[in-house]
Amino acid sequence: MRRAYKYAVLVAMIVSTLALALAVSAGGLGYALPFPAVRNLAYWYLRTTYNPFMPKFTASAPEAVTAIVWDYRGLDTLFETSVFFLAIIASMALMRGIEVKAPKSINLSKYGMSAIVKTVTKITVAIILAASASIALHGQLTPGGGFQGGATAAVAPLVIIVIFSLYFAVSSGIKKKSMLTLRTLGLLGIGVTSFAVIVAGLILGKAAYVFQNQPKEAAPIGFPSHILGVPMGGTLLFFNIFEFLAVAAGFTIVFLLLSVPEESVRKVLEGGEGHD
Amino acid sequence: MISPETLVFGVLAALGLISMVATFMAVMERDLLKAVLFSAVQSTAYAFMFYILMAPDILLVYVPVAVGLYPAVILFLIKKTERFEGGEEE
Repeated sequence: MRRAYKYAVLVAMIVSTLALALAVSAGGLGYALPFPAVRNLAYWYLRTTYNPFMPKFTASAPEAVTAIVWDYRGLDTLFETSVFFLAIIASMALMRGIEVKAPKSINLSKYGMSAIVKTVTKITVAIILAASASIALHGQLTPGGGFQGGATAAVAPLVIIVIFSLYFAVSSGIKKKSMLTLRTLGLLGIGVTSFAVIVAGLILGKAAYVFQNQPKEAAPIGFPSHILGVPMGGTLLFFNIFEFLAVAAGFTIVFLLLSVPEESVRKVLEGGEGHD
Repeated sequence: MISPETLVFGVLAALGLISMVATFMAVMERDLLKAVLFSAVQSTAYAFMFYILMAPDILLVYVPVAVGLYPAVILFLIKKTERFEGGEEE
């Protein structure tokens, strides 16, 4: 009875999805193109994102998405980043007192999966790290950016924890403290980059804005737009690098905390508030 | 003869249907391990849809988060709690 009901619901959902799709493609909600005014906005972004002939308006990055995320609406991204970090801080506060460490003098080769899996994983981890670095460092030229690269890089410690065991990860340097340092470094870098131009403006006696990238009409200083002849998007490169560090380290902290064996977590939680 | 546009939209529709069925199965499944796998199937279908809709930036963040990190977090939590959803077995 229950099973028949389940399949009836599924078939009804499929039929209604198909009906809705048919109605939309037949023009039921109006045709797909957005209003002309919205298209002008898109045209403006695409025209100015990399345009050496309009130096007062360009973000000097061929990748429009990264330019929008870190330049045109950089402040929104800053607050998105802070939401992510508050979530990491909250999870660390929730799991305070839980120590992520390997017991002294253990045989690491006894833990984890078989030698075949470990060998394959060693190669895969190298590939993951190289791919993530290229996603983050090319973020101002090709699709990708700091968050994308950082999320990809965070898969590497996760795979190491699952395949080689938590103790291997901790003894090879993926520690809570070092990840926290990396994360703080990334945050600090984002802060420094967003205030760099305004500090330079104060020193040089010129007007500048927080989060300024390229020189503007009333604020004539900015980040260098090209490095060695390659468009680097000014601040975008630095934001991508620091966001990469911060996101990868933040995710790794969460995985380290989640992979601590349940018995030792229970011991800490039952120990009450007085525990270190 | 089917035009290329129709083919692309047909693939998109098929992926949409796969993702919907996978979501339904994930919600109805009582074995949470299987539910995570269904959810990963849904994520994979979405990843292809983002690619077809020409959103590579979203794709690059969606693949590691939805296929790698999110199932991993859920699997850690299932390992720490219970594999089967509450109530008696049918």
